[in-house]
Amino acid sequence: MSNKTEKQVNVTIDGKAITAPADLSTIQALWYAGYPRVKGVGCLEGVCGSCRIMVRRAGTAEVTMELGCQTLIEEGMEVNFLVFPTPTHHTYDLSEINNSWEVQAHFSRIFPEADHCRHCSGCTTSCPKGISVEQGVELACKGRFREAGELFIECVMCNFCMTACPEFIAPNHVGIFARRVTAYFHTRPSNLINRLEKLRRGELQIME
Amino acid sequence: MSKGIHYNEALSTYQPLRERPPGEENLPPEKLLRDFHPDFYANSVTTLKVGPNKGDKCHRQLAKLLQADARIDEADLAAAPVRETDVLVIGSGGAGCAAALVAAKAGARVMLATKLRLGDSNTVMAEGGIQASIERDDTPQAHLDDTLRAGHYHSDRKLVKRMVMDGPDVVRWLIQQGMQFDLDKFGDILLRRAGGTSANRVAYYRDYTGLEMMRVLRESVSNSNVEVLDYSPAVELLSDDIGHCAGAVIFSLKNCSYTLIKAKAVIMATGGIGRVHINQFPTSNHFGATGDGLVLAYRLGAKLRDVDSFQYHPSGLAYPQHLAGTLITEGVRSAGAYLLNGRGERFVDELKSRDHVSSAILRECTEGRGVRVNDDTVGVWLDTPGLELRNPGILNARFPKLVQLGRRCNTDLSASPLLIYPTLHYQNGGVVIDENACSSVPGLYCVGEVSGGIHGKNRIMGNALLEIISFGRRAGAHAAENSHRRGPKKISLEHISNLRRELTLANMPMALKGPMLFPECAKFEIDTDYDGLRKN
Repeated sequence: MSNKTEKQVNVTIDGKAITAPADLSTIQALWYAGYPRVKGVGCLEGVCGSCRIMVRRAGTAEVTMELGCQTLIEEGMEVNFLVFPTPTHHTYDLSEINNSWEVQAHFSRIFPEADHCRHCSGCTTSCPKGISVEQGVELACKGRFREAGELFIECVMCNFCMTACPEFIAPNHVGIFARRVTAYFHTRPSNLINRLEKLRRGELQIME
Repeated sequence: MSKGIHYNEALSTYQPLRERPPGEENLPPEKLLRDFHPDFYANSVTTLKVGPNKGDKCHRQLAKLLQADARIDEADLAAAPVRETDVLVIGSGGAGCAAALVAAKAGARVMLATKLRLGDSNTVMAEGGIQASIERDDTPQAHLDDTLRAGHYHSDRKLVKRMVMDGPDVVRWLIQQGMQFDLDKFGDILLRRAGGTSANRVAYYRDYTGLEMMRVLRESVSNSNVEVLDYSPAVELLSDDIGHCAGAVIFSLKNCSYTLIKAKAVIMATGGIGRVHINQFPTSNHFGATGDGLVLAYRLGAKLRDVDSFQYHPSGLAYPQHLAGTLITEGVRSAGAYLLNGRGERFVDELKSRDHVSSAILRECTEGRGVRVNDDTVGVWLDTPGLELRNPGILNARFPKLVQLGRRCNTDLSASPLLIYPTLHYQNGGVVIDENACSSVPGLYCVGEVSGGIHGKNRIMGNALLEIISFGRRAGAHAAENSHRRGPKKISLEHISNLRRELTLANMPMALKGPMLFPECAKFEIDTDYDGLRKN
């Protein structure tokens, strides 16, 4: 195994002192050291947003928010796992928006806090994917949903920005709302529509 | 594995080239599979000794799980609260969410129990896209033919027919949930080609198709009447006095207690089994892919099929080691990337079906033409620099997830290739279902990877995302419609007693308990937080 020749590093994860090879992620380091880790583990590829950790690196006071499966351990690093993200209090149903002229009005009703953004940049700073979250919220408030949604392409719904927001805006849900209304009202592919029409007329059958 | 060209040597002789001559195929395809595909490894298959598939072939590692003892018995449930619903969905990937949404919309009371967080699944990791015959020259018939051929004609034709005819409407339904697709300048859906198929038929969103689908469905479910029970794995199904499925026992990881859920219909959508590491392969699968649904359904009497057949995706990352098994989308080969052995030669038509390409990679590695890092790590090159040379800018525009992966490997994908090796990706078989996703046990539906019959012995890219929505919707609609007809039932664990009797009569060991719930590496069984799940 190449692990034997690897450099070993010392880290503290959830208060446990661990020595493990340097090329392991924080989750792998816990497992390597024999500690169970079930909650807050998901895809292990950085797209499910489950393994939310707060990290402080040696020699700094700064605490960063990252994904546990994507963060490799470093000497002197302190890591704490967060579990059970709280669901947002915002609810909506796309079908209650009658047409695309009314999206902005519905947005203000569904996300009344979005307008109260203090521009503290807590959401942007906490995003492990480097998304310009605050700018996305601002664009959504102006009704520029397509642009806002584009900013959230890499969003994995880890909910860090929700936790960070002092106004309870739920910026990630704002982002997904912006993306969803864009598809719901504006994705009208003629190749798909044509195919559906052909199927409706029974022109495309499978041979028995 | 001592043979191969050393990594440093292979990398130093590697040259980014625009064009390379195609590889020569010198083995008949069937022989290539027989000689190199892991499904044909000696001693990997055994015969099931108990249950509805007694006497049938099954992979050895899966057979162990299917013939394991139950985690619980009646005594464990003495004080457990009982709740009631019309439809209980188990699993919250694409299939489970689609089923729950459709059943709730049809007026049924729906509960959705999921082992971890809502949306934690293989769906969220899917990259390549979703098949639907949309392009002008394409037809559902061609889609059916491709699916049957790639599956070596082991599929259930009726199921495939339903799925391909559903294809375009599934894409519309997803757009109506708010899912985006990559479009051309006229707003038409862009389509790419899957390996082993005859037309451009895969709709996609970057290489984030599954992520885009899952975050939309998750949002949709959270905003519906569906009651979500998260961190709540199902540990057993419930049967009624005539052996029909009558609900499930779930265990909450949040407060370490059991709840009995009485349901008129149960929709099993628990996904696959990659984290069991069939044949010791690395896996591209989610942490929770431990085959729980297969075990629970089998125990209740549901018939399985093709449980000796698994898919090894050709392009799993081989190096660096801590990322081994991570998936690289077939979309990269579809866009034109070559596969190269240690000598820099192409050795296979990169767009053949997955079982064929994986077998060819394993052949290169076995016969000493692979790239060797150390005794554990060998692979072949995925020639991303060549792709970028032919199509400047394509990596950043189409494959942002891959570019991020390159960054984590400290590799500039436009200058250096990545080392890849087949990764355990998909369970081709599963629970036998009909066109409404009903299993052979009344009241039990199975959808998505846990079900079998659609993909035969090999799946093509994009058919998994189509299947989960197509059959998820079918199961949800059928379960909601028929739940009204079923009266209240007595619930019992009678089937566990039958299992134990059969196991004893067959002289089987009873030490292993199932379902597995979490991979070994997570050490769930020694986690003192979850004492309640261990027997006294």
